[in-house]
Amino acid sequence: MFGNKLQISLYRYNPEEDKFPYMKKYTIDKPEKDIMVLDLLHLLKEDDQSISYRRSCREGVCGSDGMNINGKNGLACITPVSSVIKNNKIELRPLPGLPVIRDLVVDMTEFYAQYEKIKPFLQNETTAPEQERLQSPEDRDKLDGLYECILCACCSTSCPSFWWNPDKFVGPAALLQAYRFLADSRDLKTQERLESLSDPFSVYRCHGIMNCVSVCPKGLNPNKAIGEIKSMLHKNKKDIIVSDGV
Amino acid sequence: MKGSRIWFLQRYTSVFILSYLIYLIYFIFTNDLNFFIWSDFFLSFQIRIFTSIIFILILVHSFIGLWTVGTDYLTKRTLGFLSKPLANTADILRNMYYFIFVLLGIIYLTFVLYIIWL
Repeated sequence: MFGNKLQISLYRYNPEEDKFPYMKKYTIDKPEKDIMVLDLLHLLKEDDQSISYRRSCREGVCGSDGMNINGKNGLACITPVSSVIKNNKIELRPLPGLPVIRDLVVDMTEFYAQYEKIKPFLQNETTAPEQERLQSPEDRDKLDGLYECILCACCSTSCPSFWWNPDKFVGPAALLQAYRFLADSRDLKTQERLESLSDPFSVYRCHGIMNCVSVCPKGLNPNKAIGEIKSMLHKNKKDIIVSDGV
Repeated sequence: MKGSRIWFLQRYTSVFILSYLIYLIYFIFTNDLNFFIWSDFFLSFQIRIFTSIIFILILVHSFIGLWTVGTDYLTKRTLGFLSKPLANTADILRNMYYFIFVLLGIIYLTFVLYIIWL
């Protein structure tokens, strides 16, 4: 229908001018090369300077440009147009479930509040060694698939449990990080961390629908990490290994 | 209540409910079923006890499920997606929803126990 044209439907909302958000259609010539969705937004912005979106590294490292691309969350900078285009059409919306500040820019306060809640830092009050706290290669391997998270929020904002209870359910991104520190042999606050996650909402609102796994641009598996946290919570407290700092 | 207790309660109750269903289906398919066999089956003391416990477990199981649904969809935030005035009534709506469920549960359990025991 559109031949060599590409039709982009873009979510627009400027709270200073618009009463309600709306979808604006843009038609551009189909680029000769397969470009990324972020490049497509740059092309649009050349013509319409008022379009707002976050971006920084443009190579899938900073996690700034998470958005909903044709119904699926992803990072615009590493999503080729060819992989998402349907009938020469692309629909771009902000990450779902979070308040929209303007166009594709969302307010991530609730997301970061949950991240803060899990205390995303190593807690070890023993005297620090002269050089560094060592780990065995086996213990270090346990952190693979956990530390790589870039906090783009694609997973948490694709999770219905997070949509409905973003103040109570920690969400897949922060839970992945919670397990990253639970699994860390150098962290000594395992018991306290588990206690803080033991209520009916923080972890147990995850029903394992695996949206988080299907959208993660880094190929991580928050659902597996959540399963591991549940296993740790289910074990008898006497069995939970609380490291003695040795 | 700890999340793990609710989690286990929901799963253990479902296992018991399933075992009851399997036993019931097994009985139906291994007997030449008629009214007398069916009523004899439910006259057995063990089956009466088993059935009574199972129906209490069904109530517990379904309340956990419906409590989850209520705390997901009948909240100020979720109803706020539909309309602001509706969102302001979220707490009342949710408590009414629980009240109706508990009321229906008590009526239902009374009927079941009455049919089985009297």
